[in-house]
Amino acid sequence: MSEVRPMTEVRPILELENVTMTFGGLRAVDGLSLTVFEGEIVGLIGPNGAGKTTVFNCVTQFYKQYEGLIRLTKDDGAVDLRDVPVTQVVRHGITRTFQNLDLVPDLSIEDNVLVGAHTRFQTGVLSHLLRTPRARSEEKEMRDRAGEVLDFLGIAHLKDLYVAGQPYGILKKVEIARSLMAEPRLIILDEPAAGLNDQETKALDALIYQIRERYRTTVLLIEHNMALVMNVCDRVCAINFGRFLAMGAPVTIQRNPQVQEAYLGKDEHL
Amino acid sequence: MNRRLTAQPCGTSILAAIGRRPLLQFALLAAALLVIAVLPHLGLMRFSTMSIYAYTAIYTVVALGMNILLGFSGLISLGTAGFIGAGALGMGVFLRMGLPFEAAALVVLAISGSVGALIGLFSLKVESIYLAIATLFVGEILRQVYTSVPIFGGEFIRIGAVRLFGVFELNQILQVERSILYAVIVGILFISMVLMHHLVKSRTGRALMAMSRSEHAAQAMGVSLLKYRLIAFVTATLYATAGGILYALYFQSAPTRAWTLNVSLLVIAMVVVGGFKSIVGTFLGAIIIYGLPNLLLKDLLGDISYVFSGALIILVILFYPRGFVYVGHDLRRVVSTLRARARRAP
Repeated sequence: MSEVRPMTEVRPILELENVTMTFGGLRAVDGLSLTVFEGEIVGLIGPNGAGKTTVFNCVTQFYKQYEGLIRLTKDDGAVDLRDVPVTQVVRHGITRTFQNLDLVPDLSIEDNVLVGAHTRFQTGVLSHLLRTPRARSEEKEMRDRAGEVLDFLGIAHLKDLYVAGQPYGILKKVEIARSLMAEPRLIILDEPAAGLNDQETKALDALIYQIRERYRTTVLLIEHNMALVMNVCDRVCAINFGRFLAMGAPVTIQRNPQVQEAYLGKDEHL
Repeated sequence: MNRRLTAQPCGTSILAAIGRRPLLQFALLAAALLVIAVLPHLGLMRFSTMSIYAYTAIYTVVALGMNILLGFSGLISLGTAGFIGAGALGMGVFLRMGLPFEAAALVVLAISGSVGALIGLFSLKVESIYLAIATLFVGEILRQVYTSVPIFGGEFIRIGAVRLFGVFELNQILQVERSILYAVIVGILFISMVLMHHLVKSRTGRALMAMSRSEHAAQAMGVSLLKYRLIAFVTATLYATAGGILYALYFQSAPTRAWTLNVSLLVIAMVVVGGFKSIVGTFLGAIIIYGLPNLLLKDLLGDISYVFSGALIILVILFYPRGFVYVGHDLRRVVSTLRARARRAP
C-alpha cells in the first residue's frame, strides 16, 4: 500500500468545478468538483455507468456541452479548457488513452506511436511532399524518440509489426506510448488494466509509477481493478450516478461506507 | 491477419530487397515503361499501342490521387472525371489564350485545387454515401459546364503542338515527338509516385490514416479533421487535374463529352482492384482495368472484352479485397512455408 506522497509544492493542475453533463434527460455527471495536483496519481472510481468516462470526455473536450468549469493551470496562467478546441487540448499538455483502444490497425506499432508526436513536428505537408532535409531529420529524430518510449515500455522489438492481430496487452502499451510521445503534463488513462491478465496488471503498477517519474507527468486514471487503484493512486475520487461520493487516500476510500454501498450494496465489505 | 506480419518485407532474396525499396520499384517500373517508347520505332509495336500505355500512365496518376482519398483517408469522390476534364480543357483554354505551357498548367492546378478545397470543406458535413452523391453531382455539373459553355469549343478544343520550357516544340503527329511526349508522361508518373510515397510515409500520411481509422485518438493527438480532409481532397484533385494536363500534352486535343461518371468509376475500380494504399498496386489497377482490355482482349474478343474485365474485377474483389498487389504478399508466404517444409523434410 502506498503512502500519500509528500508534496513539496502543492499546485493544482486540473480543477473541475460543479461539472454537469446531461444526455437527454440523463445526468451522466452531476455537479462534480475535483482538484488534481501536479505530480499526483489520482484514480477515478465508480460502478459501471457512474459517469467516469464522461468526465474524461469533458476534460479532453470531446464533450463541450457541459455546465460548470474545467480549468487547467499552466506555468503561464490558467486556461478554461472549454475555450480549447478538442484537437488543441494536447498542445496544452493533456493526452489520453482510450478504454476500447483507438489505434490504426494497418500501421506498424512504431507508426502508431508516431501519431502521438503529431503536435511535436514543425514541418508541414509541403516539406513532407518534397522530403526536405529538415523533414527527413525531424522524422528521424521522432523515430528515435518513439524507439526510446517503446524501449521504456519493453515493446521496442515489436515496432515493425502491424497493430492488427497484436495481443491486447501490447496494444494497451502502444496506446500509452502514443500518449507519451506528446510530452504530456497530464496523462489520462481510461481503464489501463481492462483486459490485461494478472501478471500484466501487476507490471502496470510499476509502469504507472515509472511514467510519472520519468516523464514528470500527473496521472489521472479510471480503473475497475481495485488492487491497482489501491497500489498506485495517491488519492482516489469515488463517484456514483455522476455524483461525488468521496475523495481521499485509497485506504480511506476503501473503508468509506458510502463507497462500499455504491459498489456492493449495503452491509457488505469491499 | 497474421500476427507476425511486418510492415516491411523481410528476407534476403532479390524480390524482398526490391520490396524494401519503394523508390527502386518506381524506377524499375518507369524504366520498363520507357522501353515502350522505343519499341514502335523498331517495328515491334504499333504507335497506337504506345498511346494505350500513355493513357494507362495518365490513369495511374489520377488513381494515385484517388488512393490518397480512398485508401489513406477513407473518403470518396465520384467527381474525378470532372477534374481530369478541368485539367485537359483548362489547358486548351489557357494555351489558346497564349499562356506558356507551364504557366497554363500552374493556373489550371490552382483553380482545380481551390475547387478541391471547397469539396474538402464540404466533406466535414457529409459522410460516406452522401459524400459520394454530392461529389457525383460536382462531376456532373462540371461535365455540363464543359459541354454547354462556348469557351470549351463545343465538341473539343484542338491544342496542337505544345512548347515545353519555351523551347522544345513537340507535336504528337510526328512519331519521334510522340515518343518523347510519352517519355515525359512516364517521367511525370515517376515523380507523382515519389511525391506520393514521401507524403504517405510522413507525419501527414500518418495523420490521414489516423483520421480515417481512429478518429477520436487522432483528435486527441492534435490531428485537425478539417485540415487533413482539405489536404486529402486538394491532393486528390491536383493529381486528377495533373492527369488531365498530361492528357492535353499527349493527345493535344481535349474533348468535352468524355468526362463522364464512367471514367470516375474506372478510377475507383483501379484503386480497389490494384491495391488500397499501394502505389505500385495503383499502376497494376490501371493496367488491369484500362490497359488489359484495350491492349489484349479487345483485339482477341472485340467489345465483349469488357465483360471479361468486369468478371476479373469481381474475382479480384472476391479473393483479394485489399487489392491485386497483395497477391505478391501471399505468394511470398507460400514460398517461404514451402521452403521451410522442404528444409524440415529429411
